[in-house]
Amino acid sequence: MNRLYKYLNNGEVALGIIFLIIFIFFSFASEYFFSLRNIMNVSGQLSIILIASVGFAVLLIAGEVDISIGSLLAFVAIPLVQIMNHTESVMLGIIVCILFGAIIGLINGFLSIYLGISSLIVTLGMLFILRGAVYLYTGQRPISDELYSDFFFNIGNGKLFGTIPYAALVGIVILLIFIFIMKNTSYGRKLYAIGGNAEVARLAGYNIKLLKLSAFVICSVLSSVSAILLASRIGSANHVAGDLFEFQVVAAVVLGGVSLAGGIGTLTGAALGVLILAVISNGLGMLNVESQWQMVLNGIIIILAVGFDELKRRKN
Amino acid sequence: MLKYFKSNESILFFLLIILCIFLSFYNPQFYSIQNINSILRSSSTVMIVAFGMTILLTSGEVDLSVGALMSFVTVIVMDVINISGSLFLGFLAVFIFCLMIGLINGLVRTMLNVNSLIATLAMMLILQGSVYIYSMAAIYNTHLLPFFTFIGQGFVFKIPMPVIIMLFILPFFIFLLNYTKYGRYFTAIGSNPSSSSLSGINNNKFKILGFVITSLLVGVAGIILASLMDTGQQGSAKGFELIVIAAVLLGGTSFKGGSGTVIGTILGILILKVIDNGIILMRIPQEFQLVVPGVILILAVYFDTLRKEKNV
Amino acid sequence: MKIFSWLMTVIVASTLSFSSFANPKKIGYIVNYGTHEWYQNVIFGLQSRADELGIDFEVMDANLDINKQTAMAEDFMTKAVDVLIMTPVNEEGVVPILRKAKADGTPVVLEGNPAKGMTTLFAICDYDAGYKAGDAVGRILVSRGETEARVMDVGLPLLSATVLRSLGFMEAIAKHVDAVKVHELDGSGMIDSSVEVASAALAADSNINVIYGINDGSALGGLQAWRAAGLPENDLIVAGTGAEGLAFLNEMTKENTPYLVEAAMFPEGVGYTGMNLAVDLFNGVDVPEHKVTPTLALTVHNYANYYSFDKAGQTRQINFENVANIPTETKCTKYASDL
Repeated sequence: MNRLYKYLNNGEVALGIIFLIIFIFFSFASEYFFSLRNIMNVSGQLSIILIASVGFAVLLIAGEVDISIGSLLAFVAIPLVQIMNHTESVMLGIIVCILFGAIIGLINGFLSIYLGISSLIVTLGMLFILRGAVYLYTGQRPISDELYSDFFFNIGNGKLFGTIPYAALVGIVILLIFIFIMKNTSYGRKLYAIGGNAEVARLAGYNIKLLKLSAFVICSVLSSVSAILLASRIGSANHVAGDLFEFQVVAAVVLGGVSLAGGIGTLTGAALGVLILAVISNGLGMLNVESQWQMVLNGIIIILAVGFDELKRRKN
Repeated sequence: MLKYFKSNESILFFLLIILCIFLSFYNPQFYSIQNINSILRSSSTVMIVAFGMTILLTSGEVDLSVGALMSFVTVIVMDVINISGSLFLGFLAVFIFCLMIGLINGLVRTMLNVNSLIATLAMMLILQGSVYIYSMAAIYNTHLLPFFTFIGQGFVFKIPMPVIIMLFILPFFIFLLNYTKYGRYFTAIGSNPSSSSLSGINNNKFKILGFVITSLLVGVAGIILASLMDTGQQGSAKGFELIVIAAVLLGGTSFKGGSGTVIGTILGILILKVIDNGIILMRIPQEFQLVVPGVILILAVYFDTLRKEKNV
Repeated sequence: MKIFSWLMTVIVASTLSFSSFANPKKIGYIVNYGTHEWYQNVIFGLQSRADELGIDFEVMDANLDINKQTAMAEDFMTKAVDVLIMTPVNEEGVVPILRKAKADGTPVVLEGNPAKGMTTLFAICDYDAGYKAGDAVGRILVSRGETEARVMDVGLPLLSATVLRSLGFMEAIAKHVDAVKVHELDGSGMIDSSVEVASAALAADSNINVIYGINDGSALGGLQAWRAAGLPENDLIVAGTGAEGLAFLNEMTKENTPYLVEAAMFPEGVGYTGMNLAVDLFNGVDVPEHKVTPTLALTVHNYANYYSFDKAGQTRQINFENVANIPTETKCTKYASDL
């Protein structure tokens, strides 16, 4: 009995149960929800947020934050599509896109860690700067994918054996790799340590600055992967892409039990947070619920879930 | 003298002066009464809400729902006055609504212990959605009460009314933060919550108060905006929360709580608004209205950090 | 109740089987920004026609999220709609959706702007709508004996549609008088941002006599800024675009208002036409690549032919018949690709 209680008290298990309840509810409420096609569609749809959320969660665990990821989504898609259009090489575009992401991560990290400006401020500034740069460079016109290659189309839209979206596969592989890194490597444990108590970590001789810098780069690079999937799904580098994306990611990750204070939470939890919000959004759409009700419901769910989690933590 | 130059406010003040001199060389129109009024009028709604946000950030909290609440206020005030024909009832409805939202924000923060960034982000979603449940269509001014128009568009001695309302509220906050024990309490809560609670301050009570004050100020700003637009418009004040927060941070208040001055906040807002205005005056592409504040924000906070390190 | 509706379905279905065409059963519409007044009225038109034809009509709102829009298209295909109608958040962003819908066998009708790989589109001509407003303003200027139009353009560079409107407006005015664009502003299409940027622009130079807004909020925002600056309204002409809701009617019917011209786009009519186009596409009727819906310069003298409105009740009624009789272009003078 005691063991059962302890098990139920685990955040991830609780989230898993919430997810199941929601899933079962929609399966009965809508005739379209519980079908292989819909479930596969949702798994592809959520992968864009999932991949960015993994990176965002790693950075939060390391005790820093990056709210410029939405603008980054629009920004790094520009070199991707431009290079694809001009060199006809999708791979080159992808490599340069990720490189751009890594550089922005380095800049965010450098300003935050080495110059000591709070990362919230640095990335708030970066949010404006990147979005403004996208507007200036594109003249607020989308840059369309003129190569129109099947390979690039399939990254975000194609399905393996006509069933499993490639986007979902990319998402799951990235999720599993980072779950392994955060759980089973000393690097992951160090990130938890510096996020939880930087002073102790310093005394333990960890290179805090370098570790944090790496977390910034992970966050930006994974967001760039999301940007590639999104660009494929919308066939362009689009100046309106990623608007308010950071809010969606923050909501999902925090819902998944990752603390904004750093050092607390797991990637499994973050993924469950993404899953729950995506299923709710899809299920309500299947039930033809108006979008303004969806917004209200999302807000209430976030407050209740996080509040419940906090209350439980206080009890323990 | 040297100490004076080192303070954050004086640096911001010099930055503002340099900006103004630069702009007036570029376009003498900058100093026209009309332009100054235009800058002050659009600053005043930001300032009114920023007074509250300064208190919140000083006590270590933040409110992201101010923009969504403000647009909800424009709808409520216009609708209630249209129906009742009474300004008093319109304002009363707004302040009751804002009081309620502020209380909910505060209670979710203190009772449920949800981080205010998340709690108010959720409140933002709730308000953005429910304003359309309240009314799908924009609410137009059918009451045509002249005083209502006067609030946002009128002048007293050639000074725009919104500025006068702001100046009316300002001394109260300077007094509250600088000359009462309550001001010190907010700072204490933000800089060291455990010691302030040990010294007998009820942290939660003051935090809730901070949220309520901010929401009520949003009520004032929302009424001004409704008058200025002559409409209750859902979806207005988009991104307002980011402008307010950026201006308060630029003004020297720290996100980690503990330090903050109303004068710094005012200077921060004026700098951002003068830049906005200058970009239009100089006919630079308006996209720079996004880029320049981003750069200034990072630089300003960087210099602030540098100075604090030197002082230590 | 259920039996009743079932009976109705049988009766309607058996009646319809006599005609050569069957109506689609279910049509989905993905709107880019469903809470906006213009789209509310487009949805009203779509729904009105769907009700007349007994079609099950569902709406999903992407709320300007281009990522969500793609997901919604997949969701509608899962729901097995017979036709999918879409107003793209951005026209380039729907190319992959069109490709997927083709593979799925779902016919797609676009509203707004053309996109690569589309079959058919219903939309107003943005350039021509702006042009008609400019033409009307030009005539008024000439009748007042003015030789120059000094224009403050409260625009929205974000969307190609709104850029086309501004362009058409300026080119039409230039046919009548010397046209100078004194201010080219980005008012975000919202009244509050428009008030703010227009205030700054008017402070820099208030020597203008025409305010043009790419939608009603932009035009009214420009006018509000003019009023808040305390400038005289005698020689000013304000022209708006869209006839999105009640705002322009309220302003235009005031006495001595400078708001004289509205490039009306009749959103309810747009929706009504769009539903007919979707049904035609479903039935394999030959559909045009671009079905142009009417636009017209409305003034205080002719608006009553198309709209009746009730100030206190805050509603307006469209006269579908009169709107349908407005002559339309077969092809727009300029498209987004001409920019």
